[in-house]
Amino acid sequence: MAIDMTQFYQVFFEESAEHLAAMETLLLELDIDNPDSEQLNAIFRAAHSIKGSAGTFGFNDLAETTHILENLLDRIRKHELVLRADMVDAFLECGDRLREMLEGHQGRATADPAQVEAICARLRQLSSDDAPNPAPIAREVAEVPAAPPLPLADDEIAVIPPVPDNGKRVYDIQFVPTQISVKGDGVANLLDELRSMGVLEIIVQPDVQGAEGFWEIRLTTDVAKEIFADQIDFISDNGAWRVAEDTAVAVDGSMAFGFFGDSPGIPDSVRGYGFFERPDDLSGVTQPAVSGDDDGYGFFEPLPKELMAVLEAVPMAEEGDGYGFFAPLTSPAPAPEPAVPMAEEGDGFGFFAPLPPVVAEAPAVALVPKAAPVAAAAPAPVAAKEAAVPAAARAAARPAAAAAAASGDSSIRVSIEKVDQLINLVGELVITQAMLLQTATQMQEQAPERLTVGLAQLERNTRDLQESVMSIRMMQISFVFSRFPRVVRDLSGKLGKQVELKTSGETTELDKSLIERITDPLTHLIRNSLDHGIESPEKRVAAGKSPVGTITLKAYHQGGNIVIEVGDDGAGLPRQKILDKAREKGLPVSDQMTDQEVFHLIFEAGFSTAEQVTDVSGRGVGMDVVRRNIQEMGGRVEIDSMIGVGTRITVRLPLTLAILDGMSVAVGDQTYILPLSYVIESVQPEPGDIKTLSNQGRVIQVRGEYLPVLVLPELFGIKSKWRHFTQGIMIVIDADGTKAALCVDALIGQHQVVIKSLESNYRRVTGVSGATIMGDGHVALILDVSAIAGMAKTMMQKAG
Amino acid sequence: MEAKTHAGAAASDEDLVSSEYLTFTLGSEEYAIDILKVQEIRGYEQPTLIANAPLFIKGVINLRGIIVPIVDLRIKFKLGSIDYTPFTVVIILNIARRVIGVVVDSVSDVISLNANQIRQAPDFSGSFDTKYILGLATIDTRMMIVTDIERLMTSGDMELIDSASE
Repeated sequence: MAIDMTQFYQVFFEESAEHLAAMETLLLELDIDNPDSEQLNAIFRAAHSIKGSAGTFGFNDLAETTHILENLLDRIRKHELVLRADMVDAFLECGDRLREMLEGHQGRATADPAQVEAICARLRQLSSDDAPNPAPIAREVAEVPAAPPLPLADDEIAVIPPVPDNGKRVYDIQFVPTQISVKGDGVANLLDELRSMGVLEIIVQPDVQGAEGFWEIRLTTDVAKEIFADQIDFISDNGAWRVAEDTAVAVDGSMAFGFFGDSPGIPDSVRGYGFFERPDDLSGVTQPAVSGDDDGYGFFEPLPKELMAVLEAVPMAEEGDGYGFFAPLTSPAPAPEPAVPMAEEGDGFGFFAPLPPVVAEAPAVALVPKAAPVAAAAPAPVAAKEAAVPAAARAAARPAAAAAAASGDSSIRVSIEKVDQLINLVGELVITQAMLLQTATQMQEQAPERLTVGLAQLERNTRDLQESVMSIRMMQISFVFSRFPRVVRDLSGKLGKQVELKTSGETTELDKSLIERITDPLTHLIRNSLDHGIESPEKRVAAGKSPVGTITLKAYHQGGNIVIEVGDDGAGLPRQKILDKAREKGLPVSDQMTDQEVFHLIFEAGFSTAEQVTDVSGRGVGMDVVRRNIQEMGGRVEIDSMIGVGTRITVRLPLTLAILDGMSVAVGDQTYILPLSYVIESVQPEPGDIKTLSNQGRVIQVRGEYLPVLVLPELFGIKSKWRHFTQGIMIVIDADGTKAALCVDALIGQHQVVIKSLESNYRRVTGVSGATIMGDGHVALILDVSAIAGMAKTMMQKAG
Repeated sequence: MEAKTHAGAAASDEDLVSSEYLTFTLGSEEYAIDILKVQEIRGYEQPTLIANAPLFIKGVINLRGIIVPIVDLRIKFKLGSIDYTPFTVVIILNIARRVIGVVVDSVSDVISLNANQIRQAPDFSGSFDTKYILGLATIDTRMMIVTDIERLMTSGDMELIDSASE
């Protein structure tokens, strides 16, 4: 049956992009000196997943490049190679190239084949590089064709070159089949299936054919456990099965047995991963090796038994191993190593040198042409402690990984339009519910109790529904933050600065549309901090600071807002320089301006105080765009800075664009919604509180500050019920850093309102940012506080 | 309040290419607009005022979750008595992908007119610019002003749209 693969392309692109992003994050988190094996495995998995699906979908360029990447990763995670910073760089670059290729396949961009080739070559080079290793062990097959036999003592395990596995292992399989599978062909099919994979030996089986009972079989195969484990699981009674890899039987000359550290129900995140290898690769490669057991392994180095425990702990049987086996193809000289028959050494995981059998396997190599040079089967040091990690400890780590994997699987992809439609409908529902409730309230005692109770329940349910629906759109801000370590890393390298990025509050959630729109402004702010804020290491030291600068990225909720802070401990904003620059630009400035006002000048278009224009920043475009973008999102930017101490830029954003926490105020017979984020407090003015300035502007003193009074009825031309300010109420608002007192008739309450556009059917109204529908079905306008403050200014100017 | 059903008496059955028009009155004048522009007819409800809007823009209402501006044509053209009773009618128009409500004195009926029945209107000056008038139609003794409602509503005069096309 022909399946049109193209329909899955989009999913593949999305998934691959996610994998790449995950890989990048992990790479950046990686501690180079002491890499966490879980992280290494996760990186490997990401690369592997991309390779797997790229191959499936026929994107061979992607698959090949990832393959090279994966091989190197595989060797690192198996401690054959020591992770170095330049490797991380290469991985990151490779990630970029892969992303380009992905985009190329989507028709958006094109990857430069030369660059791709370059990075592939670099990875290959890294893969074949000699890793620093105290032990006199040959690591590069090509350079040192003969790896000397290693007389290894226990304490030398630390430098044991671990050994790519040749794929053949022994599994002890125990299971109790379900009644159904016993009666049907389930068990028989399973056995057939297993037989097809390797040598099957039935150790225990129920006395009566076709009866329920305990089975124990031993499978000698090169196939990864996961491949058949599912089938066993399927026929087994409620998890009553176990697959154990066996090392104890090593002595018996065929294979290793006795490794029972696995619990079958939990995916083996360490070793298991490699088992996901597509069988077609493996079968070609390893199948012959199984049958040709003795020949194939004839050239293994002798390995003491003690080593085996170590080797068991090392991830094995991955595809990389399979390729590793063929590495000698590129090697000029096969090692004249004394052939140690497999049977004697009893271990398929032996340290082996590249050898003639490889040649016999040549046809299989064709399947993976690029594999050979990379996967040169060079041993690398194994840290003793790593090797000695008890299987138990690793097993303990697995459930967490399994849980993470499970949560990843339980998500679905839904188009954002569908979600928006849902949100709109829920918005309508909330309004309808509020209307019903209001009607029932007006009925007062006449309303039947059951109606009242039902409505109360409806209210709760709609509120829950609204919250859940809104949360669909919510994403963690880590989605944005995760890209910054890379930005900082690249940029600090380019600028020759040492910068550490600290992030906190990554789990803070915010609306998806905001997430998308905040990325660019934040990137800009961070670049700016790096370029202008953080000084060069020499300057920092001279100033008595640590040479390593710190950029902090913080996100948290405050009121109905999400606050994102970008801080640095750099030089701070030079007030005088900004003022001079502003004068030069002809901006209206004075020395009396507050620091806040001065700092806000950097958001003016074309404003840059950088002494020289770099390709990072200094062209003066950017900060104005940052501010505009943020304002378009309904957010605000604030700057705090102190010379020599640092700068902090605070971005406040509404949680969502669709819903707003508002305070409803009455003016005349109209109701207006004031976004709660602008409201600081409300005061009842006393007679005499309000003073006039040159008989026009009015001010009110609130907590020692004189604030301009904005009279909403006057601004909007509405008849107010009151004649004197004391009859109204003053709401102290903070509009973009400038405070003002807004005079209204009364406060009504606090609501969460669904924002509706006024412009879709009407036009923009000054002082109004949108509209909403109140509980009684009426429309209430949402005030645009910044615009109102502006209106008041122009009115005063006109009056003056 | 309610849509008048098709008044068959006025329809000219012999002309198949005729289009249907909704007629409404403003004071003593009768207007006809293309019925395809009409979304619905509903009673008047107190709209929410819009700050600093012209007088004839009464405000906005909530039409099943959509914010719809309401224009009182009686104020705009200084016709009829401007009072709001339970019988005041709002015609909800669907024009240029926008929804706009128009307050009129009353809705009369739906008529069919073909091109022959619509005569050129003489040039005259008044608050109702002739450029919005497609022509005059006569049925029995009634004269109807056939109006290009879309052009009227999207014009700069109405101040309903940000960048008016006229």
